[in-house]
Amino acid sequence: MRKDLVFGMAGSGGDGIVSAGDSLLQAAAAEGYHGVMTKSFGSQIRGGESSCRVRISTTPILNPGGNLDVAVALNWEDFLKFGAELPVSGNTVVIYEAATNIPVDQIPLVGVTPLQVIAVPIAAMAKETAGTERAKNTVVLGLIAGWFGIGAVAVMKGIRKKLAKKGEELVEANQRAFDAGRAFAMEHPLKTSMNVIASETKGAVKLITDGNDMCAAAAIFAGCQFFGGYPITPSTEIMQFFTDHVWKYGGSVLQAEDEIAGIGAAVGASFAGKKAMTATSGPGLSLKSEMMGLASIAELPLVIVDVQRGGPSTGLPTKTEQSDLFAAAFSAHGDVIRPVLAPTSVADTFRITIEAFNIAEYYQTPVIVLSDQEIASRKETLDPIDTTQFKIINRLRPAGAELQDYKRFKQTENHISPISHPGLLGGTYLASGIEHVESGAPTNSGTVHQRMNDKRTKKFDPLKDRKDLFEVSGNPDAPIAMVAWGSVAGVCREALAMAQAEGLNVKLLVPYLLYPVAEGVYNDFFRSVQKGLIIEQTHLAQTFKLLRMHLDLPKDVKSLARSGANPFLPGEIVAALHHLLSELQRSHEGKLQPQE
Amino acid sequence: MAIQGIDFASLSLMDALDLAILIEDEAQERYEEFAAQMEQHRTPDAAKFFRYMVENESKHGRELLARRVQKFGDAPRVVTRAMIFDIEAPDYDAARAFMTPRKAMEAAMACEVKAHNFFVAALPALKDVEVRALFEELRGEELEHQKLVQIELAKLPPDSGLSDEDFVDEPAPQ
Amino acid sequence: MSATGTCEYQAKDYKSDLKPIWCPGCGDFSVVQGIYRALAAIGRAPHEIAFVSGIGCSSRIPGYTTAYGFNTIHGRSLPIAQGIKMANPDLLVLAAGGDGDGFSIGGGHIAHLIRRNMDITYIVMDNQIYGLTKGQLSPTSQKGRVTCTSRYGSMENPVNPLLYVLAYGAGFVAQASPTDLAGMASTIEEAIRYPGFAFVNIQSPCVTYGEEAQQIKGLKAISETLASLGHNPADRLAAMDLAQHYGEKLHLGVFYRNPEPPPTYGDLVKERQDLLSKDALPKERILDLFIKK
Repeated sequence: MRKDLVFGMAGSGGDGIVSAGDSLLQAAAAEGYHGVMTKSFGSQIRGGESSCRVRISTTPILNPGGNLDVAVALNWEDFLKFGAELPVSGNTVVIYEAATNIPVDQIPLVGVTPLQVIAVPIAAMAKETAGTERAKNTVVLGLIAGWFGIGAVAVMKGIRKKLAKKGEELVEANQRAFDAGRAFAMEHPLKTSMNVIASETKGAVKLITDGNDMCAAAAIFAGCQFFGGYPITPSTEIMQFFTDHVWKYGGSVLQAEDEIAGIGAAVGASFAGKKAMTATSGPGLSLKSEMMGLASIAELPLVIVDVQRGGPSTGLPTKTEQSDLFAAAFSAHGDVIRPVLAPTSVADTFRITIEAFNIAEYYQTPVIVLSDQEIASRKETLDPIDTTQFKIINRLRPAGAELQDYKRFKQTENHISPISHPGLLGGTYLASGIEHVESGAPTNSGTVHQRMNDKRTKKFDPLKDRKDLFEVSGNPDAPIAMVAWGSVAGVCREALAMAQAEGLNVKLLVPYLLYPVAEGVYNDFFRSVQKGLIIEQTHLAQTFKLLRMHLDLPKDVKSLARSGANPFLPGEIVAALHHLLSELQRSHEGKLQPQE
Repeated sequence: MAIQGIDFASLSLMDALDLAILIEDEAQERYEEFAAQMEQHRTPDAAKFFRYMVENESKHGRELLARRVQKFGDAPRVVTRAMIFDIEAPDYDAARAFMTPRKAMEAAMACEVKAHNFFVAALPALKDVEVRALFEELRGEELEHQKLVQIELAKLPPDSGLSDEDFVDEPAPQ
Repeated sequence: MSATGTCEYQAKDYKSDLKPIWCPGCGDFSVVQGIYRALAAIGRAPHEIAFVSGIGCSSRIPGYTTAYGFNTIHGRSLPIAQGIKMANPDLLVLAAGGDGDGFSIGGGHIAHLIRRNMDITYIVMDNQIYGLTKGQLSPTSQKGRVTCTSRYGSMENPVNPLLYVLAYGAGFVAQASPTDLAGMASTIEEAIRYPGFAFVNIQSPCVTYGEEAQQIKGLKAISETLASLGHNPADRLAAMDLAQHYGEKLHLGVFYRNPEPPPTYGDLVKERQDLLSKDALPKERILDLFIKK
C-alpha cells in the first residue's frame, strides 16, 4: 500500500493526455488526496508531443516528484522526447500502448529495468467501447483506477460534470471506455500492489488552482485595481484572470499594444493613486526596464510579475528556468534598488503576491515577483487559506497639515514621503524620470542627486531584516547546507526530508526575498556551515554570484547550477549532499591526524 | 485553381502531355505535404491515406511520362509549373489536425472533381484532335479516380459521431 | 540555363526542409507557396535574399525558405530589415509577420520605413488573432470579439492596416488571400518588383482560433477583386476610399501603386556615397581631420 504516487504520462496532443491528467488530479482532490500536476509540450500548437506528471499523496506535497512510480506511454516517440522530465527507474511500473507492437522486453528505455512493463491495447479498447480511438485518455483513467485505486468513482463524476452540456452520448462513451480500462486492470493485477491508501482528509474542502490564477487572485485580494499587460507565454493567464474578474471589483484591465505600453499604463494607474500590476516573461522584462527605472525614480508603487522561462531572448518559451534574476535585480540603468520576491509553490504564490503589493505600497517602489513556468502552469490542491490572516498595507497618503506646502519627495526619518495623486486638493506635484528636489522640480545638482539616491536606497534598509521572508528548515547548527528558491526550493525540501531520513545533518535556506540581499540573514545561516550548495536553474549560477557580490560565503559553499529544461531530482541532490558529507568527514579525519 | 499563360487553342500534344504530368506532380507534392503534416500532427490514419494518394498520382504521372518520352523523347519542355495552380492538388484548407480518414478521402474526392471539371472546361477551347482525345482520356481517368475513392469511402465504418475536439488536448501556447 | 543566360529557379528551390509547426489548414501554407512562386518568377538566387520576421506563427516563415532568414523579436522585424538593406543594398530584402507583430507592438516602425521608402517588401499575414500564445485579441480583431482575454467582448475598434499604410504614404499597397492563389502569388511578385517600400496584407485564416466567418469559405463570400471594380491603382484617394471597407469586404489586388516611384532610400544613399567618396581621406589618415589648423 502506498501513500504517494508519481504518474508520468506522455502522448501527442491528439491523445488528450493532459486532459486525462487534469481529470485525475480533480478526482484525487475529490477523494481528499493532495495532488500536483505539471504539464509539458513541444513546439507545435496542435498534435505535438504532450505530457503531464501527476503526483498524488496522503500528505502535503513538496514538489512534483522525482522518478516516476507509474509511466504511461501512448507512444514511445513522444515519451522519449521528454527525456529527464519523465525519469523512469527500477521502481517504475511502465504501461504502454500495445499497438506500438514493441515487445514488453524491448521497450526503448536505455539503461533501466522497470519494476514491471505492461502492454495494454488502449486504442483498441477505446475504439471498441467508445467508438473512437480518441477515448484513449479515458481508458487510461480506468486503468489507473483499477491498478492504483484512485478515482474509481470520482473520475467519471468529474467527466460527467465537464461534458454535461455536450450530450449523454459522449458521457456514455466515456463511461464505457473507463469501465473497460478498469476491467482490464482488475483482470491483470500488478505483481506488486500499488494501491494508494485512503486519504484521511476526504470530504475536507480543497482548492485546486495554478500559479498564474493564484497570483491574479492574490492581487485582486490585495486591492489591485488595474492591470496593464500583453500576451506572452507563460504569463498570459494572469492577464486573462483580470479580464474575467477585475471588472467585478470596480477595477479595469488593458491588453495593451505592447509590453512597454502595458507597464506604462500600470505606471499611470499608480500615479493616479491605484494599486497596479503588470505581468510578463523574460523578453517582456527586458522591454519594461526603462519604465521600471522611471517608477523607481518617481517612487511609484508597482508590482511586476515575471514568469520566468528559458532564455536568453526568445529562448525556450514553454520550459522553466531561473535565469532572470540578474535582469530582475539589475536591469534599468542607473543606481536602483528594486525588491525582488519569489514564490516557491502555488500555495505561497498567494502570500508572496500580497507581500509584493505591501512592499510596493509601503516603500513606494516597483517590486518584481519572480515566478517561473513550472509554478505558474502547475495545478495544485491546496487546503483553504484563511485570508483574514493577511494584513494589507496601503501607501502613505498626505493629510491635514501635510497638504500645506506639500513636497512629494520630502525628506523624512525613514526616507518615505507621503504620496499624493491627481484629484487630491493641495497635493499637486510633478512626477518625472529626471532627478528632482523635494518638491519634484527638476535639478541637476550633484548634492541633491546624492541625497535623493540615499533616500531611494536607504529607504529599503528595513527589508534586510525581514526574517519572515526566509525559511530555514533542518537543524539550525547543521554543517551542511543548501540554498534554493522558486520551484527548485520544492525539490530541495523533498531532498532535505530524504537526507534527514538517512541520518544526514543538513539544513535548507529558502529565500522569498532575493534582492536586496539580506546579508544578516545569510551570515547567520552560514555561521555553522562548512559545506554547502547554492542550487539553481541558471547557466551562469546567478544566485551564487549575487550572494558572493554581497557576502563572504564560506569557501566550501559551491554552486550547483544548470540550464533550464533540465530539472533537478531530489535523489540527485541527496547524492550531492552525501558527497559533501564524505568530503567533510575526510577533512575532519585529516585534521585529527597527529602532527609529526 | 488557375492557369496562367496557356493558350488552349494552340496547345500541342507534347505540351498537353507535359501539362498533364505537371498536374500530377503538383497533386503528388501536395499529398506528400499533407501526409507529412498528418504524421507530424500524429494523425496516422489520414497520413496513410494521403500516402496512398501520393502513390496513385505518382503512378499516373509515370504512365504519362512514359508516353511523352515515347512520342517526343526529351524535347525541352515549354509548359512550366508556374503556369498551373492547384488543378488537382487539394486545397491547403482541406487539411486539419486529427482529421478522420473519411475527411481525408472527401478532400481527395473534392480534388478529383476539381480536376475533372478543369478538363471539361478546357475541352471546348482545344483545336488539336489528338489533344482533345488526350483531355477526354484524362477526364475519364478523373472519373475513375473518383470511383476508387468512393470504394475506399464505402469501406470505412461510419464516423463515431463524436467530435475529436471532445477528447483532444487544448492547443498549446508557445 | 535559359536563352537569356539567367539561372532559372523553380518554386521548390525556395522551399527548405524544415517542417512547419503550423496547424494543418493554416492559411500560411498557401502564403509561403505564393512566396516561393513569386521568388521563382523573379529568379533571384536564394542566397541573395534576406527574409526577416518577428514573433508569431506567421513569423516562422523565413525558416521554411532557403533564403537567409532572421527570426527576430516581437515587432522589430522592420528596423532589422532596414539595417540589412542599408548594409547591403544589393540584397532582396523581405519582411513578414502577423497583424499583432506588425500593428500592435511593431506599429511604431511602419511609418518610418514608409517615410524612408527603402526597397523592402513587407508581407503581413492578417488573421485577427494572436495564435501562437493561444488566442488573444489582436489589433485587427473586430469590436465585440470574444477571446480568452475578452470574455465579455473587445471594447476596442480594430486598426485598418490598409488605411494605416496608405495614410503614411506607401508607394505600393495591396491585399491578397489564399482564396485566390494565383492572384496572391502575382500580387506578391508585383510587390517585390516595385522599386520601393511595398506592403501586402494577406488575409490568412487561423483554423485553430479563427471564427467561422474568417475561414476560406467565409472569406470567399466577401471577396472581390479590385480589377473587377474597375479600380485605378494610380488613384490614391480612390484606394483609401476602398480601403475603408477592410473588415466587411475582402478586396483583392493592388490598392495603390505609385505611377512614378520616387527614388528609394538606397538610391539616395548611393548618390550621396558617390558624391562624397572623392572627399574621403585614406583611412590611415583619418586623424588628419583633427589636425589643428
